[in-house]
Amino acid sequence: MTTLSHAPASSRPIPNPKKSLITKLNMGTGMVVGIIFCWGTYFAMKAGRDMTDTHNVNKVLLMSMFAWSIGFLIGIGAFIGPFRWLIGKDLTDEEQLYLAGDGQGISRYFKYCTDHKVVGIQYLVGVMAMLGVGGTMAMMIRTNLAAPGSHFVTPVVYNSLVGLHGITMIVAMIIVATGPFGNYIMPIMIGAADMAFPRLNALSWWVLFTAIPVLCSAWFLGGIPTGWTAYAPLSDQAGPGMNAFVATIIIFAVSTAVAGMNITTTVVAMRAKGMKWNRVPIFVIGATISVALAIPAFPTFMVAMIQTALDRTIATGFYDANVGGSGWLYANLFWIMGHPEVYVILIPGVAALMEIAPVFVRKPLFSYNAAIAGFAGIAGLSVLVWAHHMYMSGWMPSLNGPFMITTEFISIPTGLLFLVLIGTLWRGRPWMKLPMLSVYAFIWDFLIGGITGIYLSDVPADNYLHGSMYVTAHFHYTLMGAALTGAIGGLAYWFPKMTGRMLNERGGYISFWFVQIGFNVLFLGMFIAGAEGQPRRVADYAHLFAHANLISTIGAYSVGFGMLVLLWSIIHSWRSGKIAPMNPWGAKTLEWTVPYPVPLVNFDTPPVVTSDPYGYGRSAK
Amino acid sequence: MSDHEVEVLPPTPGARVGAFIKRKDVAQTFWLGVFFTAVFVVLGLWAYPKWMPVALTKQMQANKDIMIWFTVISAPIAGVVLSIAAKSFLNMHRGDTPPEEGIAIRTNTPVVIIWTATSLLFCIVAIAWGIVALNTDSAAATRDATKSLVVDVTGSQWAWSFYYPEEKIHTHTLNLPVDRPVTFNVISDDVNHSFWPVQLGVKVDANRLVTTTIEADPSATGPIDIKCAELCGLYHAYMETSGAVQTPADFASWVTSIQATGGVQQ
Repeated sequence: MTTLSHAPASSRPIPNPKKSLITKLNMGTGMVVGIIFCWGTYFAMKAGRDMTDTHNVNKVLLMSMFAWSIGFLIGIGAFIGPFRWLIGKDLTDEEQLYLAGDGQGISRYFKYCTDHKVVGIQYLVGVMAMLGVGGTMAMMIRTNLAAPGSHFVTPVVYNSLVGLHGITMIVAMIIVATGPFGNYIMPIMIGAADMAFPRLNALSWWVLFTAIPVLCSAWFLGGIPTGWTAYAPLSDQAGPGMNAFVATIIIFAVSTAVAGMNITTTVVAMRAKGMKWNRVPIFVIGATISVALAIPAFPTFMVAMIQTALDRTIATGFYDANVGGSGWLYANLFWIMGHPEVYVILIPGVAALMEIAPVFVRKPLFSYNAAIAGFAGIAGLSVLVWAHHMYMSGWMPSLNGPFMITTEFISIPTGLLFLVLIGTLWRGRPWMKLPMLSVYAFIWDFLIGGITGIYLSDVPADNYLHGSMYVTAHFHYTLMGAALTGAIGGLAYWFPKMTGRMLNERGGYISFWFVQIGFNVLFLGMFIAGAEGQPRRVADYAHLFAHANLISTIGAYSVGFGMLVLLWSIIHSWRSGKIAPMNPWGAKTLEWTVPYPVPLVNFDTPPVVTSDPYGYGRSAK
Repeated sequence: MSDHEVEVLPPTPGARVGAFIKRKDVAQTFWLGVFFTAVFVVLGLWAYPKWMPVALTKQMQANKDIMIWFTVISAPIAGVVLSIAAKSFLNMHRGDTPPEEGIAIRTNTPVVIIWTATSLLFCIVAIAWGIVALNTDSAAATRDATKSLVVDVTGSQWAWSFYYPEEKIHTHTLNLPVDRPVTFNVISDDVNHSFWPVQLGVKVDANRLVTTTIEADPSATGPIDIKCAELCGLYHAYMETSGAVQTPADFASWVTSIQATGGVQQ
């Protein structure tokens, strides 16, 4: 841990450790060293290898990608601290203050900065960029599907679009709430001066950052044909672009493991005096349960991908039936990660809305304990349901019944989340500001997503629905309709604290309605296509599905327009929006007790908590 | 806390319920709930039968029944959730200052218990329904195998092919006789595919070197669309063929016509 002073920033000298290497390193040096490592590895490994053998190509490409990642981290100075430890020293106080970005203005966003608020903003901008790229790919997919027989893109490009849209959005959605708000807001919410491990915090972001160019490189290596699920043996058969996918997941798993441990430790160990567990804001509880769930989930994905990498580089044959392997092994490993991951995405979004609803309805959160029971129940059950993705795989038909039971049981804790929200709304007079609108959108979207999930969890109905557009529509209702809506609500809510300015309301309203109406048109159209029998991930389809697909595409353009308006609102408000007061919503959580810009150590005096943050309202009647 | 008045509750539970029902906001919420419930009931009873294809097997009919009746059963729950949300939405406060403080309801134990018990009940209904339907499918698997028509299905990038071992014919369309159970043995030549004869309402993955089996009970005649439901590479979208459930006489003459051309469909 750093030993930062609690003195206000103004009374401290600006750190200036001139002779330290730390001051010379930034994103630029990281990229230079990364690129040198990448090309160095590429040429060194290529020399003397038969590059007509795909195994060799895969070896060279994978190692070059990892070399880029490690080189970048060396170049940005991520390993200076551990290196000092090796020689029996540590960073000086002055260097640590420098690393925290004290007094460095905008340049600290491009450095290995340990301040959780800087990391939060880095995540926010990174997530927005990923959503932008993923959204653009979604627009291209929907454009290709606007009419049957369309050749807007070729089948190769289409399959790559489907896979890269999928993985880009999944990665973005995993960090969309816990990245920006979990890093920027959460430590302040619990009254901490920083995260438990500030250097690991910076590491988690910059490791993730190195995965972005790796994933983008898939386009230049021929794309990926497998969708984001990367099922074997198709992934064994796939071309060089697949290496980019494999490397991305392995790098990303490192980032989430680091971030998950950091957030969990922070919440367990660094809460303000008096913040007992039953006084912790519900967003903090949700984010913690979410990352705690990620800690076992993502390493499984990493293992699955390492085995894919071994199959592709040294022909181990984990997933190759010809040499005794099995594609079902991959499917199991993938979904052992894949289903908890859905809730890793969902829970922070819901928790953000549970934080928002009491503030705007001016009522306590209804049944705080039910909310925790809901999150904990979902997290517990979510590790026992993975094989419902494999009902039709033929893997273990005799397990379909048991997995159906565990899956259906998830509807009980999920129901509690609804109860908490509608209980909070009950008899309330909501202050209809931007964040509050998201609560209503969530209730509608997640209701549809939840009910359609019940059909899908039922084996006989899944006989028909599995692998159809119906599934695509269902999980977009939960991931986009519920989780992204929650994150956008969170952004509107915390924007004043993160930027010091209010989010433009008019832009926000226009965006909200275009996105929500468009979203429902888009995915109701897709439900129809799925019910009619259209498989998912198809570049083309029969005339029977033409109407449903046209409806979907129209909805998609509306979502796209709405998102552009939101982007404009965010940029415009960030630059020149109305200056926000310290507590624009009259909320009672700790982050609203600190000014903007938030001081380096957040609180001039460590806060003491005497009650939970939901003491709104008057006694009845 | 701006106001510390205490709610004066009626003396008996019966009187409390009576007072609750008479409240204007409760009545409005109730009628909103009726409206939303009706929307979902209509969606279930009207939309799904309209969207989903004609059922040619008992399995497909079971699928459709689940889609329809689960929607109808979940309609009241959707009604409760949406009516409370809608009522609060309609009661909105606009402006730049927060509204007055609401009522400090921290929790309501009976409501939490009733809610949880109700969702448990719905959950059990869904599970029971699913298990019964699943058992019906399994029963089909264990019935007298000699009666069944056997079809070996092979998926390869990017086409389906069929072999009828008893009739000794190789085909690229899937024709079946009505009222005779059929067993599909499914395998892949390369990557994973998923064999989906849409109107039959069954599906199973085609895996490399492992045979998976499903049964169907064709109970009506009509065309079948066969698709691949598992992304299998470049031309996944075009990996489809067609077929039909036919009368036994039509099926027999179709078999004969293929046997006449050396057992391979032209």
